[in-house]
Amino acid sequence: MIRYAKPKNVDEALALLSDGPWRILAGGTDFYPALGNRPLSENVLDINGLSELRGIAEVGSHIVVGARTTWTDIIRRDLPAAFDGLKLAAREVGSVQIQNRASIAGNLCNASPAADGVPPLLTLGAEVELRSASLTRHLPLEDFILGNRRTALQPGEMVTAIRIPKSATAGTSAFVKLGARRYLVISIAMAAARIVVEDGIVAEAAVAVGSCSLVAKRLTGLEAALRGLPIGPALAETVAATSLPELAPIDDVRGTAEYRREAAREIVTRAVLAASGHHPLTKVAA
Amino acid sequence: MSLSIGLTINGQPRTVALDDPRVTLLDLLRERLDLTGTKKGCDRGQCGACTVLVDGRRINSCLALAASLDGATVTTIEGLADGEALHPVQAAFIEHDGFQCGFCTPGQIMSAIGLIAEGHAGDDPERIRELMSGNICRCGAYQGITEAVLEAQKTLAERNRRDAA
Ligand SMILES: Cc1cc2nc3c(=O)[nH]c(=O)nc-3n(C[C@H](O)[C@H](O)[C@H](O)COP(=O)(O)OP(=O)(O)OC[C@H]3O[C@@H](n4cnc5c(N)ncnc54)[C@H](O)[C@@H]3O)c2cc1C
Ligand code: FES
Ligand code: FES
Repeated sequence: MIRYAKPKNVDEALALLSDGPWRILAGGTDFYPALGNRPLSENVLDINGLSELRGIAEVGSHIVVGARTTWTDIIRRDLPAAFDGLKLAAREVGSVQIQNRASIAGNLCNASPAADGVPPLLTLGAEVELRSASLTRHLPLEDFILGNRRTALQPGEMVTAIRIPKSATAGTSAFVKLGARRYLVISIAMAAARIVVEDGIVAEAAVAVGSCSLVAKRLTGLEAALRGLPIGPALAETVAATSLPELAPIDDVRGTAEYRREAAREIVTRAVLAASGHHPLTKVAA
Repeated sequence: MSLSIGLTINGQPRTVALDDPRVTLLDLLRERLDLTGTKKGCDRGQCGACTVLVDGRRINSCLALAASLDGATVTTIEGLADGEALHPVQAAFIEHDGFQCGFCTPGQIMSAIGLIAEGHAGDDPERIRELMSGNICRCGAYQGITEAVLEAQKTLAERNRRDAA
């Protein structure tokens, strides 16, 4: 018989984690499907009793999103326009039933290349707060997700929060997802962009693409090329002309590498234009 | 390890002893409590047939561990009608032919009740389609479903106005 524990506070949870292997259960929306048809055989550490891990607060120089905060919580919360892309991504995670349960940390810990939360969080310079009974550490999101289903989470650790530096919350953001149908669909590719405009000129640009590499990536070359450009058609021309070496798409059931490469450029263009206030936000279906 | 949990199901407090902590809310409802109105389509969150309300919010009961919900209030399709009088959402589904075989219907209706309670769908059918997209209908009764949700939303808003007056 497996063990099941539902601690009431984080210290209790960390003490349990330090004394043996557990599977952490948050919203369960990846947890269950990941089991497939095999019965659950690991001990379950249910973190749904940890109320301190849910909610969004300003703490010093950061906006801190508790690990258990759901996609519905994010959609409903008033946040600066730099979070618009994250909110759009939240609306694309499965269905409302999923969004009501699924947590932001679960999305990151599951480490799917198609995790919709990752590109917008990359454009917000997010870092992951990890705690064990003995240590608290902060890792940039880029260093937390290591590969397909692989993270830097160590035995005994759990994610307690996602931290967004206020310095990365300027400007407006957007998110564009390409799926094989309009709703309830795994991304073929998705793009997030956050743009800061000053006097009609791009002062800052953050662009990230998911599902086109093992791990979602910031497009740093494109970001540099966009800085200093006037808002308008020059942005789309620059996306069209810049090489995007970060993208290394693969062929899979959802699309070929060649298709993804083309599609990624298109949705990056749309995300950049939408974030710069120059394009009606549209979602595309293949 | 036997685990005892308390749930309020359709207004009735119930205490359930779980001999296995792994049981989902869906299996508990169907296999243990004889509430078979909630359907199992996919058992992995993709179809919405198992939608119920937990503490007023719609969720997929196939992805919820029953043990995790100790103390929660659960509403299923069996808890909607008031004797012979159908809930307005049930009545609207009949009025608008919001189903054919009916397998997805309990989930559709619970999801629609959740959506109306969320209170921000408005009267744009496209928005209704987005917010109902967690419920798949293999008979393709979507047109009727969307109409039923729009009408039920109106009926419930009027009823709330009357009650408030
Ligand atoms: C039908 C369906 C559609 C979906 N569609 C999408 C989609 O369109 N886009 C998308 O991005 N995702 C989608 N998902 C995946 C999923 O809903 C999200 O990734 C969700 O955010 C996971 O959160 P959770 O709380 O449910 O995680 P859980 O399932 O509880 O956990 C996921 C994993 O993370 C670990 N974990 C969770 N929390 C922590 C923590 N605090 N510390 C350490 N480890 C932790 C768990 O042990 C587990 O391995 C879909 C899922 C389903 C079932
Ligand atoms: S049975 Fe739960 S979503 Fe299909
Ligand atoms: S009515 Fe048959 S599946 Fe919807």
